[in-house]
Amino acid sequence: MSALRENWRIVLLVVLLLGSTVALFVPGAPPGTAANETAGGEQLTNLQYGIDLSGGARIEAPVVGKTAEGIDVGNQSQEAPAQQAIANQLGIDPIDIEVRAAQQVNQNGTVEVFDENVTTDEFRTALQAEGYQPATIREGVTPETRQRMVTVIQDKITTSALSGGRVQEVNSPGGRNFISITAPGRDAQDLIDILEERGTVRVYAVYQNSPTGNWTQDEVLQQNDFRNIGNAQTVNNQPQVPVVVRQNAAEQFQSDMSQAGFGSGARCGVEAGAHDSVDTINATCLVTTLNGEPVFIGGVEPSLGQSFADGTFANDPQFVMTTTSMQDARDLQLSLQAGRLPADLDFEDGTQNSLSPALADQFRSNSLITGLLAVLAVSLVVYGRYRRREVALPMIVTALSEVYILLGFVALAQYPLNLSHLAGFIAVIGTGVDDLIIIGDEILQQGEVGTARVFQSRFRKAFWVIGAAAATTIVAMVPLVGFPLGDLSGFAIITIVGVLIGVLVTRPAYGDILRSLVLDE
Amino acid sequence: MVAFEVPEVDYTQYSNRQLIAIPLVVLAVALGVLAVTFAMTGSPVALGNDFTGGSELKVQSSEPISEQQATGIFGDSVVSVQQVANQNQYIITFDNTAEISDLTTAAEQAGGLTVLQSGSTSPVFGSQNQELALIGVGIAFLGMSLLAFALFRTFVPSIAIVISAFSDIVIPVAIMNLVGIKLSLGTVAALLMLIGYSVDSDILLNNHVLRRSGGFYESTYRAMRTGVTMTITSIAAMIVMAIAATLFGIELMASIGIVLVLGLTADLMNTYMLNVTLLRWYKYEGVNR
Repeated sequence: MSALRENWRIVLLVVLLLGSTVALFVPGAPPGTAANETAGGEQLTNLQYGIDLSGGARIEAPVVGKTAEGIDVGNQSQEAPAQQAIANQLGIDPIDIEVRAAQQVNQNGTVEVFDENVTTDEFRTALQAEGYQPATIREGVTPETRQRMVTVIQDKITTSALSGGRVQEVNSPGGRNFISITAPGRDAQDLIDILEERGTVRVYAVYQNSPTGNWTQDEVLQQNDFRNIGNAQTVNNQPQVPVVVRQNAAEQFQSDMSQAGFGSGARCGVEAGAHDSVDTINATCLVTTLNGEPVFIGGVEPSLGQSFADGTFANDPQFVMTTTSMQDARDLQLSLQAGRLPADLDFEDGTQNSLSPALADQFRSNSLITGLLAVLAVSLVVYGRYRRREVALPMIVTALSEVYILLGFVALAQYPLNLSHLAGFIAVIGTGVDDLIIIGDEILQQGEVGTARVFQSRFRKAFWVIGAAAATTIVAMVPLVGFPLGDLSGFAIITIVGVLIGVLVTRPAYGDILRSLVLDE
Repeated sequence: MVAFEVPEVDYTQYSNRQLIAIPLVVLAVALGVLAVTFAMTGSPVALGNDFTGGSELKVQSSEPISEQQATGIFGDSVVSVQQVANQNQYIITFDNTAEISDLTTAAEQAGGLTVLQSGSTSPVFGSQNQELALIGVGIAFLGMSLLAFALFRTFVPSIAIVISAFSDIVIPVAIMNLVGIKLSLGTVAALLMLIGYSVDSDILLNNHVLRRSGGFYESTYRAMRTGVTMTITSIAAMIVMAIAATLFGIELMASIGIVLVLGLTADLMNTYMLNVTLLRWYKYEGVNR
């Protein structure tokens, strides 16, 4: 028992090594992974590989748009009319304008335009024509819009069967912000094609105009008028998608609907598959189009129609869109959720990288060989220097166990490994071996170590140098962690975590190993 | 296998002036190289695509590709064509006038070419990277300097660490300019790694000389024995990494390896000529002032 307590550092090292083994090799061990995912797969470990090592594409691009800040646009109910008015002034689709009222008192609202053809001057003129006085107009969009971009892109990537894709908002210290998208197994052009597919969802009320008798198609809801899209489901053998309309859009929607004559419900009687466009429908229907093509054509239940007429719909603004098949219901759900990016991405001003899976495989095995060769070189030098197996061998084993624990950590965090991270591993081996040499020299080369006390004092002296060196390495790497400089932040994180594992666990444990070896003699 | 011992250098043979002259001259030459590069290109280092914007394709081709042929396929934006050692893979670099989608299309249409890897950085991103990398290296260097002063709390030993780390960075950058290695994000990482490595041996030396009992030369020798072993171990690892990564065509690891070999070699010189001299001066003359 006392032997355990005396050698608690070694015990800790062994515990961490076992923990890393679990994290690396037991399927489903890292949180967020499924046990069966790896069971039948070809993957040997729980390590995640980034695009450098598994193939795929990464795109980083800023969002196209301009933001006018410091505008008093009143409260939220005034957002929609303002959006329409400004869009009319600029002669663009209202979908490319986003008006946000102030969220708190003493704050001002913002207006964004997502059409790249609108110049700052035109935007300012349009705003002034509507009686708004923007304090500033800047390139870029608001954080809210970027966050929505991230959500929508994530949805798009998931629906297009790109598993394992990552979408992130990246803010750089210079104030430039961009969206970073990583998708394994695709090349950059495929990814751009998926993103540029602008699925626009619109909801129309089709009705017979009462004085003229013409069939009229009124757009009553847009994509961003929905607050929540439910999951496609089957109720009473009817595939359907429940939707909730935003409060401010709901009032407009119910009055539009009751004016269009849906107040007592409508029996539509038209199949969605029968029409290519909303313009050819001659029946009183509610029509949802995706990129102009009807995906849902339906009537309105009398009870729902009644709630439009008496204005109670807005109190609980939800209804269901029914479809003919479950597949249609799913498509509709996906289109509503992820149909269209709120704004375009400016690919030309971004970066893009893609790597073929074949080359990535080569990189994976070759970088492993490179790493092993480097370890071999280190081992030879260390052995050549000390010529004592009992000193050199634990040194190499300790340095390797540092890497192993770091790998366990990476597997546990499900951090996708790229080439730059491997460089970080090599940096960790380098500083690790350096520190072990310091410990070894300090303890072995100043005469015989007689007692545990002498050993302790020498070890503490060595540790001062190691701690100081580790602190400088960490200080040198910290600025990179927060910087969006390609993969460099990953490199820095690996190096810092590795140095911490080394200083706190493995290097002290080497001291203990050495102690038991020299004191035994 | 060859055993090695770190030789004991008889520092008493050399005057401070003699010892310090070599590292200072090398540093001056390196700074001169940076100044000339700055005068000629407007930037003290040759910047790669990560910082200027531009594109790069790695293609597989059974036929050798010359720069002329590449220009024929891709147009005037071709900057260089480089064969990956012993493999039928070629890295073609383009300036920032080319559109990456056009380049990949051109490669696909050329026949016999398979695009293995493509990458592009816009000039806007490039200049942003430049700014961030400069700030990053600056902060790292400043943080390291402050830490050095906090650790030793005396001017000369602390500034010795800072100067030698500075020289450790400047010398590899100058050599990169001379042999035509362009600065990339990977080499910036290597330069930062260098700050960490360089300081290790300096701290070790200062610690032995200032905080331990024993004479100056004895302490120096002890520190050297450990420090030189450390640095040589790292150099060995980096040489192997640089060679293996070059053969395998893993650019990032190869450039990190090369920069570290250069920097660590410079560090041997700076630590055991520049730093030792400053410490000796401080120990024998500076302290008495």
